[in-house]
Amino acid sequence: MSIIAPRFRLGYFIKSLLDNVFWIIILLTLIGIPAIQVVLFFIDLPVIEGELLTPFLALTWLADPSRTLPIIKALMQTDFFKIAVFPGFGFAALLAAGTIFIERKLLAKLQLRVGPFYCGKLEGILQLMGDGLKLISKEIIIPAKADKPIFWAAPLLFVGAAAAFISLIPVSPGWVIADLDVGLLAFFAIIGFFPIITVLASWSANSKFPFIGGIRALHQMVSFEIPLILSLLGIVILTGTLNLSEIVESQSNFPWIIFMPIGAIVFFIAMLAELERIPFDLPEAESEIVAGWLTEFSGMMYGLVQLGSYLKLYAFAAIFVVLFLGGWNGPMIMPQFPQEIITEGIELGPISVTIPGLPLFTPEMINGTFWFTIKTIGVIFFILIPRGVFPRIRIDLLLHIGWYKLIGLAFVNIFISLSLLYSGVLGPGGMM
Amino acid sequence: MVDISFLVISVLTVVCAIASLELRSLIYGSIALMGSLLGIAFFFLLLDAPFVAMFQVAVYVGSIAVLILFTVMLVKRELIFTKIEDPKRKYIGVGLMLILIVGLGSVIMDSGLKSISTHSAPIDFNEIGEDFLTYYWPALVIMALILSSSITGALVLARRENIENEQHTN
Repeated sequence: MSIIAPRFRLGYFIKSLLDNVFWIIILLTLIGIPAIQVVLFFIDLPVIEGELLTPFLALTWLADPSRTLPIIKALMQTDFFKIAVFPGFGFAALLAAGTIFIERKLLAKLQLRVGPFYCGKLEGILQLMGDGLKLISKEIIIPAKADKPIFWAAPLLFVGAAAAFISLIPVSPGWVIADLDVGLLAFFAIIGFFPIITVLASWSANSKFPFIGGIRALHQMVSFEIPLILSLLGIVILTGTLNLSEIVESQSNFPWIIFMPIGAIVFFIAMLAELERIPFDLPEAESEIVAGWLTEFSGMMYGLVQLGSYLKLYAFAAIFVVLFLGGWNGPMIMPQFPQEIITEGIELGPISVTIPGLPLFTPEMINGTFWFTIKTIGVIFFILIPRGVFPRIRIDLLLHIGWYKLIGLAFVNIFISLSLLYSGVLGPGGMM
Repeated sequence: MVDISFLVISVLTVVCAIASLELRSLIYGSIALMGSLLGIAFFFLLLDAPFVAMFQVAVYVGSIAVLILFTVMLVKRELIFTKIEDPKRKYIGVGLMLILIVGLGSVIMDSGLKSISTHSAPIDFNEIGEDFLTYYWPALVIMALILSSSITGALVLARRENIENEQHTN
């Protein structure tokens, strides 16, 4: 019956599998392990339990169960791990991917549709993977009269700027890639790059609809940057620091949203505009200008822009959590790691195993990450929900909101924080 | 490490600055201008002044370069500019640049700048802020007045009368 493989025989199938396994083993032993060994000579290896990990011993130690966990712990302290996996790209991309799926399902439920359903049996849970594979395997088509260098560079720059944004976010105590003294200023500097990239991408496509979308994006982003920056000045005035980790630590008793709700609302609206979300999605208005500044992107270039925009969404939600909702602060719900496992090991009947270096993460770190993630997901929900509810607004009304209402409200917020500071409620001599 | 990055960044900055003047395409010229402004921001980072560097990026790359890009895109180049190729002008320009470099260089060399020790701690920007609020407060107040009056002026200029009423009547 099968049309795909009419002469299917199980024996041939097993033989081909075994062939593949054979060649994989051969290639790994002949090329893979020497390559790893060569790489190990060129990187700084950690000191574990008083002994330097040499390239000659590294593979042996990894196979030794009593030394695996310390090596993994040392690996987790490296910059590479932080950038690639935990507070950095991997964590953010995971949250961004979850956001895309949840957005589609949530909007479908809000509008009495089904949403992604067939891919992966259970509520279309593999839809995202299918979309990703489709984008990767599609041909990249570039318009004939496009400005090719800028057109190629734009998606990469977009993802790069979003990733630079992520590097500023403190996820839990000590877990931040770039703990700058001027973190908030770096945040302002990075959001200044997005309009440039957008307008360059739209110009380089040499097509009408992208250009209209790009000009709209430029108007929108540049005019909403001002209330975005002004709404954060109140926090800086009260905390007296620009370091994002210190701003989180200053909120151990109460989050700033209690004292600065106006600033939080202004920041949230300006954030929606910066992210080009509905009701401010004029740059990508699909019912007016095809897909706005994304019209000419195809294949993985479009995929990269989408990845960048969802990374940006995560980063903005995380910045909102860090500045207004108290970041990693929250009640301690993680139990302490049981001491007898560290001292006496795990006992299973007659066998007891002692594993050195066992508390892989401190309970504070897990607790902080938990609260940070919960709050970030909540903010992401609040960013997603307007898409199912609001229509798109006109560009003159958008600019009117940005230049009149939001800037005025941001100044009101600054005056509130100044009065709190000078009346002695908060700041030095007050509750903090 | 610092020496190598200083060399690379200075070469990039100068090349970008020359490119921004010499490139025929205005868009690429403005991108090159952005590159040279970013290079200057890196110089500030190398000089242990991250505060100034971030402001350089936020203000010059984030706002002024956007303004230039925006203007360039809204303007049709052929209608305004006519090519004037005059080798004499080029030589005069090069000569002026040399005179400027020699003059500024001699001024800087004669000042006390070269005796700054490189191992001193970076200046804390909080101290700069305190100085602004205590000793230099008249300058701060004047600057704040100028900026707020310019913001008010911009808002007044950008104002469109009766936009709501027109739409209601239509």
